[in-house]
Amino acid sequence: MFTKQSIITYIIAFLFILALNFFLPRMMPGDPIMAIYGNEALIAMTPELKAHLIERFALDQPLWQQFGAYLLALVQGDLGYSYYYNAPVSSIVLGRLPWTLLLVGTALIISTLLGIVLGIESGWRRGSRRDKSLLTGLMTVSGFPDFFLGILLLIGFGVTWGIFPLSGAITPYAGLSGAALVLDVLHHLFLPLTALTLCHIGASYLLTRNTMVSVLKNPYILMAKSKGLPDRAVRYKHAGRNALLPVVTRTGIQLGRLVTGAIFVEIVFAYPGLGYLTYEALLARDYPVLQGVLLIVAVSVLIANFLVDLSYSKLDPRIRYAH
Amino acid sequence: MHINPKQEIRRSKFAMFGIGMLLLLLIIAIFGPLLIPYQPHSQTPFAFEPPSFNHWLGTNHVGQDILSQLIYGARTSLLVGFSVALLAIILSAIIGTSAALAGGLYDKIVMRIVDAFIVIPAIIVIILVAAYLKPNLLVLILLLALLGWQDGARTIRAQALSLKELGHISAARSFGASNLYLIFRHILPDLVPILVMGFIYGVRRAVFMEAGLAFLGIADPTIVSWGMMMHEALDFCYLDVWRWWLIPPGVALSLTILAVTGIGHTLEGALDPRLRREANA
Repeated sequence: MFTKQSIITYIIAFLFILALNFFLPRMMPGDPIMAIYGNEALIAMTPELKAHLIERFALDQPLWQQFGAYLLALVQGDLGYSYYYNAPVSSIVLGRLPWTLLLVGTALIISTLLGIVLGIESGWRRGSRRDKSLLTGLMTVSGFPDFFLGILLLIGFGVTWGIFPLSGAITPYAGLSGAALVLDVLHHLFLPLTALTLCHIGASYLLTRNTMVSVLKNPYILMAKSKGLPDRAVRYKHAGRNALLPVVTRTGIQLGRLVTGAIFVEIVFAYPGLGYLTYEALLARDYPVLQGVLLIVAVSVLIANFLVDLSYSKLDPRIRYAH
Repeated sequence: MHINPKQEIRRSKFAMFGIGMLLLLLIIAIFGPLLIPYQPHSQTPFAFEPPSFNHWLGTNHVGQDILSQLIYGARTSLLVGFSVALLAIILSAIIGTSAALAGGLYDKIVMRIVDAFIVIPAIIVIILVAAYLKPNLLVLILLLALLGWQDGARTIRAQALSLKELGHISAARSFGASNLYLIFRHILPDLVPILVMGFIYGVRRAVFMEAGLAFLGIADPTIVSWGMMMHEALDFCYLDVWRWWLIPPGVALSLTILAVTGIGHTLEGALDPRLRREANA
């Protein structure tokens, strides 16, 4: 069974991430409180706080009870407390999440759509000049590391020409509202979005193009053509639609790559999403935030993958019969 | 398989560019340090020097020669790229072929683990582990290899499964050949093209990840790397220094990745019969 198999897969993946989050700080040499809470906690440390933390994590209990306490806290939505920000990790993450969702979501939609359209056009006339230049161009662009592409855009459009802002997601203290606010957000979004999108068109483009090539050999394409249907109808309705399926299955994997790509792009543009938060946490050795962010990101990628898996078997009935 | 990958590669400009570029990088990485008069870590009192005869690419914020850092960076990238890819493809081959031939429960368990690791975003795991362990180069290589064999194992298993059904293999088996003999004598030789491709994509992935981690500032600070150079230079991008400090490592990194992609893409086209050149309708 397809879905049963993939459920087991996701459970293993989820347990691995949980175990990594749990064991890594506790296996470090030295004081586990230090490893769990980072440097900032030491400054705030009082005997009462220490006693509280030991109790909270059941650090004086055997390992399996500690794991139980860890799971219990997670189930209650408690990701820990950051002494660097003086706030619960969950609220810090929630505050940053919308920016990453905006960036990654838009990049996913634009890069997938563009990739599909360009892939269909390219695969339709394989070997033509248009196909060759598209292929070379997109392969070149997707060979660039996302952070370097971001840096190039930043230096060109931000530093040298000053068309777009250098960092952040909104103009601070501008008190904008309504349409001006939306424009301001888009203005800040443009460069990181372009960097992320350009780096990720390649994958869906190449996949669509390659699938087009094999789809075009099917008899129904010949049939459609011999019926005298216009080129465009054959290209999009008959060939293009059938070339979509593999792209859909890859969306989950693409999403994982986009999210990790966003980490780097956000750092270049100091875009205040989860990626930049990761970077700040790394610099400050703020382990609770680091753990919280990475747990949330990893689990969301897993969930997205799982949903894609499910929808795929709905989209293509052959998948259900094949297993 | 009646494919001639050598011929395919010779016919493709992209692949020839890739091979030429990689050879050039190898030469630079091996012999470059002999020609350069500066050590990448030795500091001079002259910070932020623009390019000159003494320092072709100028100096950075603590007066280190940028060209020598660039050359030593090529060493790091290639060393990490090749050793990670080699380790990973060996792991993939062992696990993929053994799962295909042994089958049964072992196969099921191994494939579930492989699938689980494929859906986990590797870079996140690496950031988390690296933040705690502060890995040196060896640990980094092992870490990247441990997270990089799963995709290859899946492809190799699939290929080995179809090879297993071929006539000459069941003939050998009926003569009493053991699994190990079958793997080394019959299956591995037929897997060579796939192994090469897995290796090449492994190199790309590892070069990319090493640069990314160094860019995040969590790689070993004593090792010069392109990612680290960019990490340091980005803080000064409002000065003119980006022209000779930030762009060269970025271009070098992009060219390396592009070169590897070129070889991989052509090989992939050569190995996948559906993508091979034929008349378009």
